[in-house]
Order: sequence, then structure tokens, then C-alpha cells
Amino acid sequence: MKTKRILSLLMAGALLTGALTGCGSKKDDSAQSGDSSGVITINYPTAQCGTNTSAPVCDELIKEFNEKYAGKYEIKKEDVPGDQNYIDKIKVQLGTGDLPPVIYGGGYNLLDMVVAKDLAVDLTDAVNSDADWKALYSDTALATNSRDGKIYASSMEGQVIGYFYNKDLFKQAGITEPAKTWDEFFQQCDKLKAAGITPLSMDTADSAWVTQLWMGAMVGTESDAGLEFMNTMNPTDYNTPEMIAAAEKIQKMYQNYTTQDAIGGKYENAANNFLSGQTAMLANGPWMIGDFSDTSMAEEGFADKVGVALFPGNFVYDAPIQGYIVTKQDDPKVEEAAIEMVKFFTSAEAQQTAMEMQGMVPASNTVELTDTAKDKYPLLAEFLDLATTEGEKRSDTLQATMYSNLLDVMSQQLPLLASGELDAKGFCQTLTDAAAKNQ
Amino acid sequence: MKRKKGWLPVFLLPAVALFLLIYAVPLVIVFVSSLFDYRLTGDSMTFIGLQNYTQLFSDATFRQACGHTVVWILIHCIIHVSIGVILALVLYKKPRGWKFVRTAYMIPNIISNAAMGMIFLNIFNPQYGVVNSILKAVGLENLTHNWLMDTTTAFPSVTMTWLLFAGYTTTLVLAEALTIDDSVLEAARVDGATSFQTDMFVVLPLLRKIIGTTMVMAATYMLQMFDLIYITTKGGPGSATMNLPLMLYSVYKNENNYGYSNAIGVCIVIAGVVCMTLINKAMRVNEEDY
Repeated sequence: MKTKRILSLLMAGALLTGALTGCGSKKDDSAQSGDSSGVITINYPTAQCGTNTSAPVCDELIKEFNEKYAGKYEIKKEDVPGDQNYIDKIKVQLGTGDLPPVIYGGGYNLLDMVVAKDLAVDLTDAVNSDADWKALYSDTALATNSRDGKIYASSMEGQVIGYFYNKDLFKQAGITEPAKTWDEFFQQCDKLKAAGITPLSMDTADSAWVTQLWMGAMVGTESDAGLEFMNTMNPTDYNTPEMIAAAEKIQKMYQNYTTQDAIGGKYENAANNFLSGQTAMLANGPWMIGDFSDTSMAEEGFADKVGVALFPGNFVYDAPIQGYIVTKQDDPKVEEAAIEMVKFFTSAEAQQTAMEMQGMVPASNTVELTDTAKDKYPLLAEFLDLATTEGEKRSDTLQATMYSNLLDVMSQQLPLLASGELDAKGFCQTLTDAAAKNQ
Repeated sequence: MKRKKGWLPVFLLPAVALFLLIYAVPLVIVFVSSLFDYRLTGDSMTFIGLQNYTQLFSDATFRQACGHTVVWILIHCIIHVSIGVILALVLYKKPRGWKFVRTAYMIPNIISNAAMGMIFLNIFNPQYGVVNSILKAVGLENLTHNWLMDTTTAFPSVTMTWLLFAGYTTTLVLAEALTIDDSVLEAARVDGATSFQTDMFVVLPLLRKIIGTTMVMAATYMLQMFDLIYITTKGGPGSATMNLPLMLYSVYKNENNYGYSNAIGVCIVIAGVVCMTLINKAMRVNEEDY
């Protein structure tokens, strides 16, 4: 009996111990230093993995970094597939104050949140003390990556965005060249429609990337105030004449010139419609150029049919994408390692590698287009040349400058704008109300 | 026997400890933090009393989300459970192929909600979806819609993604029905009751408790419903398909306002308790029949 009792007690204890083992807290091991070999390990969670277009570049840079700093530093990549999963992961870690040593601000505007929590390492001294690194910061790159006069991030990639058009479909509709003004643009849409061709690829889901590009270009070309609005970080008032006028045009585009699946559709739907020749125009960045010659996405020879243009009014999105952020760590050695990693990832050589491997636009205007990149991505070369020679009005995208909570609001409200249940003023008021929640 | 029972608390301890750690403690944290201004980007938590709740009740989106959640609970408890019960009563008579139907009807319930969401996203696709394709094929092109993104059709379309799949209800009710003593049914037959009368006045009352239980399950399922809506409409267009869990997630994720989203969480918990109490009372789940 006594043995039974002891056995029962042991079993109950084992159950409790086993159950609670998994509940124990453990300090995040995103950064380690001082292991037996003396190598400082930087665990690097990133969404640049799997099918992400930047994944090969990320892998290559990690490989080169680990070779260069062998025995001193080592990056261990942690795959976090999907941008949203990455943002959610970083936000959770931000809440606990335990961030990985390096995070990527990307198009997610994570910098403001990290700075607000006082968890970003001030890179000002590190950048200023390195002439090569400092030379890579243009004025716009400095603005994108700085807060209150301090540099907190470093960009590797820029974005130069216009729109792609299908030359065959334009020819069928009797259009000889892309529109120079918005009036001409809508006349071309009418011509395409009359020829039985759907003019535009659009979307509403997942922050409506494609549609927002059209909308931002309209705002930026409406007036000087519109361009100033487009270059304002985190605007709070969307009830501007330029935004209202742009929303009216977007409503017209949804109702007359796009596919049935645009309402509720994602970027992928919009892209597929263009790649399959169902629509004549798609606003997007040059990272898509590789898809035109990918036969799993488009028919053979589709790349030859695609032309690239600036938005009407010679508008082009031209801004560095928010870059890599070093976060505060308990161990200063880990911070040093992280700064080295960011410097390496954003160096002129790294930007060149990204350009040649994936056609990514360099963040720095001191990094020139190489012959390899020109041969591999002639459309990219053509567009960059066009942007340099003819681009008159430039700004960041609407998405990059708006408060992050507005991205979902856009997706929710655009279908109402499209159906006419919400007018342009009501739409802009909804954005203003959502922006006010950040005050 | 008495001595053996003395060990029960010891064996219950792991489960109780786990419950306290995984449910009770977070629940208390949710309640307490809902009284604070607690944001991701804030420096600290500031006690604001019931301010989050007063703000909630003047929030139009919250009122809309509450309304949708209540309507979905009612639809699920009444229509969904009725479908499951009717099918169980049919299968209870063991018609030819009843075992096949019982198994086949469970299949949609074992498919994950994420997969079901994707399936319905394609079924309702305005360009190539099955629904619009059929309407076009039979000459009813004027009835085609963007089902999930039109405010007039979004709510019923989302509802259809789960309404008909009452496999769990059917299985539970059928299992209970099969335990009814034959002598009870025999007595009804001797008294001259028809098959319909037997079902209505003998079998159905005896299934009251399990039907009550499935209604509680249906109500709590609707209070938790997130993935199917998230995948199909994300609560849109506008707030046409917004419910409480989705609003909680949206406030947490987009506005990074943890205190406010926890206040929504508290409302969901309270709604759950109210639903369970009302259904248990209405169906007299805790009362003995004889």
C-alpha cells in the first residue's frame, strides 16, 4: 500500500512537472555572445525567405558576411515566411522589449515603433565616422532612416515605381504612347474599353498596393500641396482637395476600367490579370520585371510586350525603402556585431549584388547600374533612365507614409468607395478619423 | 473507497495548475489591463478606469460588431442546430445508407477553417467563382455579384461558409438518440402515435439536454469565429462582416491598443457567460427529466 502511495505521488509530481516545463520563461536567444568558440552569433529572423523575391539576395549576403567574419561573427537566419507574420513577430517581441539584434523596417514602417519604445540603437556616430557608409546616404535616405536628427536605420534598397503597360493591347486600341496627363490617361482608358480591353489592374485587399500607387500619383500631381502631402510622414488630415479629387478618380476607375475581381482582390489577382494579358496597365515596381519572362507566370515572349512609363504628370515614386535597424541589446558586443552586419548589408557592394541578382534598385544614387544588370534587366535600365531624365515630381508611396493602422482601413473602405456607398469625401474622412487614433 | 478518493486532489493538481496558468492568470490580466491605457508604443500603462468601456460603447464599429455577433449566434443556434437535429432524427431511423451519410456529413467539419475559407473565397469569386459561373450558365447573369465584397450580400455569403455544416451537432444528437430505450418508443407506438408524433413528442423532448449542449457549443463557436471571416472578407466591406473577435484582432494589430482590445476581450467573455446561462436556462440542461 505504501509503495502504491509513493508511486501515485511520484506520478502526480511527474505530471505536474511535465506540464509546467513548457510554461517556463526563457530569455530570447536571438543574440548570443561568448560561446565556447568566441564567435558572436546574430540570430536573424526575416521574411526574406522561401518565395520572397529578396530571399536569394538575403542568403547570398549572409553567406558572404559569415565568410568575411568567420571566427568573429556569425548570422543565423530564422525563416519567418510572409511579411505579416514577420511584422506580428516583431510587434510581439517589441511588446516584451526583447527584439532580435537586427530588424528590417522595409515597407512596414517599424522604425517609428522601435524608436518610440527607445529600443533602436543610434547609428549617427557609426555612420558619420565611416566616410564610405555616410556617402551612401542621400538626403531622402537620411530622411527615411532618421528621427529627430538621429540616424536609426540604413537602407539597402530603393524604390522607383511607375507603371507597366501591354504594348500589344495599346496597339489594338490605337494608342501609340503612354499618357502625359491624367485627362489623356482617362481618354486612353476609354479607347481600351471601346476596343474590348480592360484597361487597369486594381485591388482592394492587403492594403490595396496597386490601387494606392495610382491614387498617390494622382495626389502628387494634382498640385504642389498634393506633392507636399505625399512627402509628409504620417499625415493626419486626408480631407485635402487633392486626396478627395484622387478618391473620385479611383472611384471612376473601379466603376469603369477594371476587372470584376478588383473589389476584394489582392495584389496577386491584379498581377495575374496583367500577366495573363487580361488588363492593359499595372502600377508596380521594377522587382516585378523578372516575372514577365518567367514562363510559370506569363506566356513565352510576354516580356517583349511590356513597356514601362512614368505616371501622368511625369510623376515617379522614388524613395529609399526604410532599412535595417539595430536594436538595443544587453551585450554591447552583440550590438557591435549587429552594426557590422547592417553596414555590410547596406554597403555599395551589397546594393550592387541585389541589383544584379534580382534587379533591385539601389538605395544610394552613388551605386550605378552595372552592365550585368542592364543586360539582365533591360526594362529596369530603361525605366531608371526614364525616371532620371523625365521624372519631375517624386515622392514616397502613400502606403509608406501613412500610419500603419490605415492600411487595413484602406482595404475595408475602398470596396465602399467602389460601390458608391461612400463618396470621396466620406472616404477621406474615414482615413482622417483612423489617423486620429494614433494621436 | 474513501481512502482512495483522498488521492483525487493530488491527481487533479496538474490540471488545476495548468488551468490557472494558461486560462485563469491570462484572464485576470485581460480584465485588469482593460482598465489601463496600454499601447505597444506607450512608455507605460496608465490606469484609466472604465474609459476603454465607455469609449467602446460609443464606437460605431463595436456596436456593429456586437450586432453581427448576436445575429450570427442566433442563426447558428437556431438554423444550424436545427439542420443538425433534423438530420440526426432522419438518420436515427436508420434508413438505407445512414452510416455513409453520417460519415460523409462530417467531412466539412474536419476540414480546417482556413481551407474552408479559401474554398469559399474561390466559390464566391466574382470573375471565375462557381456561383457566378452557374448563374451565367443558366442565363441569370443579372444576378451575378461580387458576393463577398458587396455590402448587401457579404453577410449572408460569409454565413453560408459555416451554416450548413452541422456534422458535430448531428453526431452528438444521433449518439444521444440511439441511447433512447426502445420501450419508450414502443409505448408511444402502442398508444397509436405516428412516426412524426413520436419524433416530436417523445424523441425530441428526450434530446433536450444534448440539443441545449450543442446550442451552447454553437454560441461559443460564433463568439470565437475568426478565421473564416478573416480569410474571406477581413470584416469588410467597411464593417459589413465585422464581429467581436475580428475587431479585437484589428484593434490589437492595427492600432496597437492593447487595453482597448482587452476591453473587447472582456465583453466576449461576458457574452459567453450570458449565452451559456441563457441557453442552459431555456433548455433546462441541468434539470433531470425524471
